[in-house]
Amino acid sequence: MELLEVRDLHVSFSTPDGLVQAVRGLDFTVRAGTTLSIVGESGSGKSVSTQTMIGLTRGAKVSGEARFDGDDLLKMDDEALRRVRGSQIAMIFQDPLSSLHPYYRVGWQIVELIREHDHSLSKAQARARAVDLLKLVGIPHADRRVDDYPHQFSGGMRQRAMIAMAMAMNPRLLIADEPTTALDVTVQAQVLRVMRALQAEFGTAIILITHDLGVVADLSDDVVVMYAGRAMEKADRRTLFYDNHHPYTEGLLQSVPVPGQRTRLTPITGQPPSLVNPPPGCPFHPRCPYAFDRCHEETPPLRPVNMSPTHVSSCWLPTDPAGRAEARVELARRRAGTGAA
Amino acid sequence: MTAQTGAAPQPPVPGGHVPSGEVLLRARDVVKYFPVGGRGWRGGSREVVHAVDGVSLDIHRGETVGLVGETGCGKSTLARCLTRLYDLTSGTVEFEGQDISRLDRRAMRPFRRNIQMIFQDPYGSLNPRRRVGSIIGEPYAVHGIADGAERKRRVQELMELVGLNPEHYNRFPAEFSGGQRQRIGVARALALRPKLIVCDEPVSALDVSIQAQIINLLSDLQHEFDLTYLFIAHDLSVVQQVSTRVAVMYLGTVAEVAGADPLYDTPRHPYTAALLSAAPVADPDRAQSRERVILSGDPPSPVTPPSGCRFHPRCPKAQDDCLHLEPALEPRLGDGPEHVAACHHPLADGERLPTGAAVVSAEVTGADDVAASTPPDGEEQP
Repeated sequence: MELLEVRDLHVSFSTPDGLVQAVRGLDFTVRAGTTLSIVGESGSGKSVSTQTMIGLTRGAKVSGEARFDGDDLLKMDDEALRRVRGSQIAMIFQDPLSSLHPYYRVGWQIVELIREHDHSLSKAQARARAVDLLKLVGIPHADRRVDDYPHQFSGGMRQRAMIAMAMAMNPRLLIADEPTTALDVTVQAQVLRVMRALQAEFGTAIILITHDLGVVADLSDDVVVMYAGRAMEKADRRTLFYDNHHPYTEGLLQSVPVPGQRTRLTPITGQPPSLVNPPPGCPFHPRCPYAFDRCHEETPPLRPVNMSPTHVSSCWLPTDPAGRAEARVELARRRAGTGAA
Repeated sequence: MTAQTGAAPQPPVPGGHVPSGEVLLRARDVVKYFPVGGRGWRGGSREVVHAVDGVSLDIHRGETVGLVGETGCGKSTLARCLTRLYDLTSGTVEFEGQDISRLDRRAMRPFRRNIQMIFQDPYGSLNPRRRVGSIIGEPYAVHGIADGAERKRRVQELMELVGLNPEHYNRFPAEFSGGQRQRIGVARALALRPKLIVCDEPVSALDVSIQAQIINLLSDLQHEFDLTYLFIAHDLSVVQQVSTRVAVMYLGTVAEVAGADPLYDTPRHPYTAALLSAAPVADPDRAQSRERVILSGDPPSPVTPPSGCRFHPRCPKAQDDCLHLEPALEPRLGDGPEHVAACHHPLADGERLPTGAAVVSAEVTGADDVAASTPPDGEEQP
């Protein structure tokens, strides 16, 4: 069942340099109880798109629709959106220290959130719930630590406290924006484990926004690869890693060192494009090793790959495996030829 | 970088892992403490952060030594001690056989030409008000090497070398992207043709596609100019990619040193094994099949490091002796002298650490509480 359905989302910001087109026609769906990873580099629009859905991008020009359980989040007034936010959709951010108020005790902040959304609970009941939540995410001695200030928590504990707060109203969708980027690998493993356990227990759907393909491989059902404000490829996790279609996806995966293999890395050449003047045609064509004439002129739509209903790619290369392999060899050869000449 | 004491003879060169070069930089028992807080209100003694607590390390000419560990383990502090950006509390650092650990600024200057550094934050380490040409040319100005047209020519050569457009000589750092800024940092470090470059998390702030560009650039420059690197990172796959040898640090001390491949194939120290198993792998099947060791808690406070082996409060293999006896950094289980670990109960070949039993609330250990008493990155502020 589709919990969230985003259609043709556009988000742009007026800046002194011109109109920054941060998201340019994005579609994706999140199925209830599953994890969708949105992966992309800085400036690909992955954070902006989710922040826009829950009303956190003030001053942006927005069009499209984002249906959460049938209701369009983009059409809601502030009051309605506020009720959805926190109780139905919760969000955790990269930097747990700046998301917690340094002046208030951690427990107080969770109690505040619970009572804001559920007026029937007494202070004592809300506090007991806060302790339970901290226990749930593995904070030791939760009954004592509930009275600590955020600075008394370590980085991993703060992020777990943020998850506790996000889970307080048992939301149906958790948006995790780079939840482990600021954490050490050992702590990251703890936090990911907590998220996985909570999803198994409460059936929460998760949108995981990250640039770390290792985290994607670990914790997702479906993956959207974003570049320059657009989805380049969408697939289930295994297809994306082992049978991807888009040259950008391929380039990303080749850029990551693989433990145990010390072959030279193959980086994507060049720089990400400007979002004020995105390149015409496919936004990836200036960096693409297989780009041909059509890529410079026409923007490819998301097309089913190999007639699959779930795997789509925005690339003009043939979508059947044999044709694609052939075309890539031919184009790479042609490119090498012109480069040498 | 081996466990022998100062006067011991040169260790045998391990097969294939250490280039045949002589020792370029030798650190012995390097200690760096930072005082924290004020004096106790009854005039008690000041507390100190044991940021680096007795590290010995050799870096051979031509090799790349990787240095990994969690936040606050002292890896950056160690780097700054080795480059003498910090004064040492005790211990010695020798560069090409000369003790540089007590030299003053002036006496240090000739050595600065040979030891350069690349920093994590490519924007924070460039002056935003100065043009790129003058940033990269600064080392020439400081050392009075070239000026005028000659300096400009050399700077433009450097820019070309690191993949920047030499015509952008007059631009400001803000006009470059993150990856290009890191290239500026690399060009500046290369200006004086140093022998050793200390790279402190040089790619951590960059996107993956740009990360790979910088890693390849550093490796090309190493071959071209016969450079030696100390490469600090928290990303283990990056470290394995670039390093000939790797040192793992935990709470101010070295836990294990080995050639990059042996370290990944047969880690001896449980901490190394735990770090390796926690690192995410961009491969769904491998991520699914491997067993994860999830360490409980966070590293303890470096103000009051645990007794005995510093890792014992989080170690799944800890026994009584670990609480009292500090393990020496030496070869274990018949390893050659190039693979040393500081552990009383090292992992045998193929041995797996017991994986954590409880899923969510496993972290009921003392470690969390100790960690909470100081900010985890307290060591970075002297």
